[in-house]
This record gives sequence, C-alpha cells and structure tokens, in this order.
Amino acid sequence: MNKADKIFLAIILVLSVALYGSIQFLVSAATSDLKVAVVTYKDREVLRIDMSVDNTYTVDGTLGDVIIEVKDNKIRVQEETSPYNICSIQGWVEYARVPIVCLPNHIMILIESAVDQDDEDITVR
Amino acid sequence: MNRKQRVRKMTLVTMLLAMSIVFHMLEPTIPLPVPGVKLGLANIFGLIALFLFGVKEMLGINFMRVLIASLLRGIIFGTGFWLSLSGVFLSSMVVIFFYRYSKLSLVGLSMAAAAFHNVGQILAIIVIWSSIFLIYWLPPMIWLSIPTGILTGTLAKESIRRVDKSKMDAVLGYSKRRD
Repeated sequence: MNKADKIFLAIILVLSVALYGSIQFLVSAATSDLKVAVVTYKDREVLRIDMSVDNTYTVDGTLGDVIIEVKDNKIRVQEETSPYNICSIQGWVEYARVPIVCLPNHIMILIESAVDQDDEDITVR
Repeated sequence: MNRKQRVRKMTLVTMLLAMSIVFHMLEPTIPLPVPGVKLGLANIFGLIALFLFGVKEMLGINFMRVLIASLLRGIIFGTGFWLSLSGVFLSSMVVIFFYRYSKLSLVGLSMAAAAFHNVGQILAIIVIWSSIFLIYWLPPMIWLSIPTGILTGTLAKESIRRVDKSKMDAVLGYSKRRD
C-alpha cells in the first residue's frame, strides 16, 4: 500500500463511521417520533396520542373519567373508576402490541408504530 | 498492432473472462465466517485486464462476467442479477476514475472497487425493495469489504508481477497512468 492508498482507506473509514452514526441517530429519531397510541371506547377510536409529547388526557369511560398519562415515550392509565383497577395497576407501557384494557370502562389503549411491522415472515417467489 | 498481436490479445482477454466467470460462479461455495459476504475473487481478473490492456477490456470483462454468469445460473433479470449489475457498474466507474485521476496503487483500486460494489448493491436493493432503512447495512458491508479488497488487490498485483513486470510501476502507483 502506498500513501494514496492509506489516505483513501482513512477517508472511507471516516465516511462509513459517520454514516453509521448518522443512521443510528436517524433511525432512533424516526422510530420514536412515529409512535402513536390509539384510544378506543367500545371499539370506536376516540383519541390518538402522540407518544413523543409528555401530557395527560382525559376520556369518558362507562364508569367515569379515565385519565391517561404520557411520559418519556411511555403511556399509562393514571386514574380510573373500576372494581379492581386492573388497567391502572398495569402501569407504564412502551411497546407496540402490549395493550392496556379497562374492561369495565370499555376503554382500550394500543400503541401503534408507524413503521410497518406487518411484513410477511416468508416470501415465496 | 498487427493481426497476430490482435488475436493474441483477444485470446488473453477471453481467457481472463473465462476465469472470472468460473470464480464468479464458484465463489458462493467458499465458506466464510460471516454469512452473505463474498471475497470478490472474480474482480481480480478485471483489475488484471485494466493494467495489462486498459479500461475498455476491464469493462468488457466485468460486464460480460455478470451477464454470462447470470445466464449460466439462470437468474438473469432477477433481483440478484440487477444487484450484481449495479454493483459492477458503480465499482467499475469508481475504479476508472481513480485509475486516471489518482495515485492509488492496485491494492487501493481493489479496495475502492470492493467498497463501491457494496454501495451499488445497497442502492439497488433500496430501489428494488423501496426501503431506505436498508442503508443500515452499508457501513458494516464497507468495513468487511476493506480486507477482502486488500486480499483481491494483492492477488492481482502478484499475478501481474508474474505475467508482465514492465507494468509494475503503474501497479504500485508510481507512474502516471493513461489508458
């Protein structure tokens, strides 16, 4: 290897490491921004919550108000009225497909990722 | 160039092409610790042709290799064919550029070829599967392409040393290179 080779190798390595870092950053930013929690009452969508904004929301349930809290990309039911309080005991949820269900209030909260995760496992050509 | 020399050159280029097709087709059978990675041995013959004959002959060998090997395997115009073609296209263009306008030695050219072969392939798969997130694979592929590029470049260099010693200055990047 001569001098030009070494310079070329250094440039390639620096560029690829920079690309790697920026991809990591972009992917994490893109996936965290794209998370949305969907709240349904009796199978009807009543609220769509952006998971990147910390806030509390109130929805009407069958037995009274259900207070939903979003913090650090996680979501929980802070307060509701029900016999066993199962959904508020469940606590923080951050992953898609882990639903929070308040059956007495007919409220369900499900995180949806805007990145399509419903790809087929196997493709046959 | 008289008739005899022309025939001799044509025969040599054809033999290089034949060898590169054989390597192109046998390469996937060589086991490597990392899956999905090839050594790029077929690229040696394109580089040899570049230094022994010139740019036109290298382009001929590289493109005919992809075309004929895909025909023989029966995957022509399939996804794999377009991946190979775009990889070869980009790596050939980059090699020609650095061959003319830089002082990279053959080993450096081989690294450039290996790295940009991957760039071309990843760009093609991003277009084919229309998923930008596949660019995730590009940096690791480039890191893996550097040792394989050095290996193929060294093999090509040693081959040229044994065939035609007068080209060694150009191979090592000491003399100015023009077609």
